[in-house]
Amino acid sequence: MHGVGRMVMRRGAQLIPVMIIATFVVFALVFLMPGDPAATLAGDFATEERIMEIRALYGFDQPFIVQYGRWLWNALHFDLGQSLFSNEEVSTLILMRLPHTLLLVFYALILGAITGIPLGILAATRQGTRLDKAITSLASLGVAVPNFWLGIILVSAFALDWRIFPATGAVSIFEDPIQAIYYATLPAVALSTNVTAVLTRQVRSALLEVLSAQYIRTLRAKGLRPQAVLWRHGLRNIAATILTVAGLQFNLLFSSAVIVESVYAVPGVGSLISYSALNKDFPVVQGVALVLVVLVIAVNLLVDVFNSILDPRVAAST
Amino acid sequence: MHRVLYDNTLRPSRRSVLMGAAAVGAGMMMPAGARAQDATPQRGGTLRVSMPYNPASLDPITGRNLPDFNSLYALYDALIGFDDETLELQPMLAKSWEWSDPSTLVLELQEGVTFHDDTPFDADAVVFNLRRGLDYERSNVRSDLSGVNAVEATGPMQVTISLDAPNAALPAILSNRAGCMVSPTAVQAAEGGNIDRAPVGTGPFRFIEWRDNDLIRVERNDSYWQGPELPYLDGIEYRIINELNTAARTVTSGQADLALQLAAQQIMVARRSDNIIATATTSMTYYTAFFNYARGPLADLKVRQAMNYALNRADLQQVLMMGLGEATCSIFPSEFWASGPDAKDYYPHDPERARELLTEAGYPDGVEIATLSWPDQAAMQRTEIIGNQLAQVGIRLNVTPVQPAQAIQVFMIDGQGDMLISPTGGNPDPSLAFDRQFSATALRNAGKIELPGYRELLEATMTTYDFDERQQKLFELELFVAENALHLPQYMSAGMAIQTGKVKDFTFGILAAPRFHTVWLDENA
Repeated sequence: MHGVGRMVMRRGAQLIPVMIIATFVVFALVFLMPGDPAATLAGDFATEERIMEIRALYGFDQPFIVQYGRWLWNALHFDLGQSLFSNEEVSTLILMRLPHTLLLVFYALILGAITGIPLGILAATRQGTRLDKAITSLASLGVAVPNFWLGIILVSAFALDWRIFPATGAVSIFEDPIQAIYYATLPAVALSTNVTAVLTRQVRSALLEVLSAQYIRTLRAKGLRPQAVLWRHGLRNIAATILTVAGLQFNLLFSSAVIVESVYAVPGVGSLISYSALNKDFPVVQGVALVLVVLVIAVNLLVDVFNSILDPRVAAST
Repeated sequence: MHRVLYDNTLRPSRRSVLMGAAAVGAGMMMPAGARAQDATPQRGGTLRVSMPYNPASLDPITGRNLPDFNSLYALYDALIGFDDETLELQPMLAKSWEWSDPSTLVLELQEGVTFHDDTPFDADAVVFNLRRGLDYERSNVRSDLSGVNAVEATGPMQVTISLDAPNAALPAILSNRAGCMVSPTAVQAAEGGNIDRAPVGTGPFRFIEWRDNDLIRVERNDSYWQGPELPYLDGIEYRIINELNTAARTVTSGQADLALQLAAQQIMVARRSDNIIATATTSMTYYTAFFNYARGPLADLKVRQAMNYALNRADLQQVLMMGLGEATCSIFPSEFWASGPDAKDYYPHDPERARELLTEAGYPDGVEIATLSWPDQAAMQRTEIIGNQLAQVGIRLNVTPVQPAQAIQVFMIDGQGDMLISPTGGNPDPSLAFDRQFSATALRNAGKIELPGYRELLEATMTTYDFDERQQKLFELELFVAENALHLPQYMSAGMAIQTGKVKDFTFGILAAPRFHTVWLDENA
């Protein structure tokens, strides 16, 4: 476990520079988008004079590095500032919205895992059969289907025609966990198809590779039952693959959530960041970017920690 | 000159004729589909509204976009009210107003009104609010009140406003943001006077919570001055749903009672459902293209007129608004009192005439117009169809897509490009509508010039207080803008909403600024 501890320490030290670089890049990208928020802030019936006043009032006329520096200084003091447009505290916005997105992402990940892993195993152990072909084709379809489209189809079937699930909205998991999961079901299903598809394909090919390895043949030759070979040796060896793929999918799900959240009117961070980026609401975009960077780094670290427990060679090599 | 703008001789709108005696009182006119038949309003229930825009602020003077009015008049009363359908001014917090001379407006205030925090409403509160509109650094209504020289409490319930110059639009300005009354106590108690997220007014509903870009909740004001019956609702929950199709689905799936600010597409879809009422009502918003006529090809009147003749507005309206709008060369809907008989069809679709004018202007082989357009799908579609119609007479659009905020900077401030395709409108007063688009000081006037004759006509509309005379002056100004082809108007938009049969007496109004005080829910529907 010594290796694991060192890995955590080293990653922790990387966190600060990565956060600074990431927020700098995001800030620069938003800054490079033409126009500034002053015209939006001045309103539908603005005058040119008013736009200039607002520019000075909010400091939009300051150089890029001064604006970023001011943001960073405050952020280092745990002050993420307020939305330019609605004056809401950025930290409040994130705290209100992140749980909705996390619920969707984890729910989709779990749905993806409980469908994708068995399907992958089934396909690998029945390699070349019709079942394998059906599963593989389905997985290709799952990767290809855009989840916003699937989202709309699911709403029209399960919310408008049959009225089994709500068409839109979300309930806070802290207020009513059962309702929260109920509301999150359709969007989570829409999000999960990509996870299912990717996991199925990865599990299948990883398992096929392991099952064709020399030591598996040796085990079989020794007379071990095929079931035992599969469960004790095959799956154990693809666990790292599953974890890594799941970790990557977790990160990708945040970007898919941007669209699915808007189809289902889920007040999560996905809809927050797209709305804020379009309006050039610097403080909100920066705040969300910061939180997402931390989340992604934390999940990657977690995946690596688990991997190194499963396979000590990993810890030794990082 | 007694209260000449509060005048009952207004030309009745098509709809008010239709309604006739069915109108029970002010603000009770409603879209035909939503009309309650012989039903007595019921008290109680929470109205669930879906709307696509998060307000910028719930402070009337720091807010900035028209959709903010979905919730503003639920929370605030303005000094002066208006009829939803005609914009005819009506008493509100000011029970009467009078021009003692053309530059002095005297308001007599309603007694017995209190703010939601129990602060009494009086002349001092009005002075506080108008001064705040002029002085607060975050105020977006300073330009509305720019001619105001002094505001004084001339009695406990009387306020006198002195202007630098006559301005017949002032009462209408006081029916909008600048006239919405905020509790002085609340402003004084707030940090930096910022009540963006903690609004306190005198309106029919009091503020409960605002989860940003998610939900706004308001609750019945039990001591509403127009009560005790009103408002009928216990409260309103506004869900903010940015995606229009999603917002419409909340009503079809029964999760909301009413969805506001939709587009033609959702109205057409909703009309296929039996138990959903979809309405598209007259609106003050219009689609046009702003011209920079200070330089380039659009400095030539003949080119501007050629563009206007080249458009087939009926087709545009049919395709882009699915027939729910109104093709027009004016900036007002034809039933609006300031819209004269001659402007609407000033430029019939006449490609021959357009080509002739281009040739006369020295462009026999056509002309290229540097065009800016918003980048969203609907705007690009609009731009392509307009471009296609213009191309048929040899006018080629060289289109650059820009975000709305950037368009303001690039076109209106930096003066780049010849024209910008954009919707606009929604002004409470017709003089303001012209002033904000065509005056040299207007942001939308990219060339910052006025053609000879414009200023005199505009000023006549601002200094004429007799209703009929003012109406004539406005007709003249409207015609001047059309004759000189100062822009490329296309069609009027519509106020588009869908609702369930439960919602009674809701009217979006031509300004899309509903008050909700007489809306009620029919639990038996």
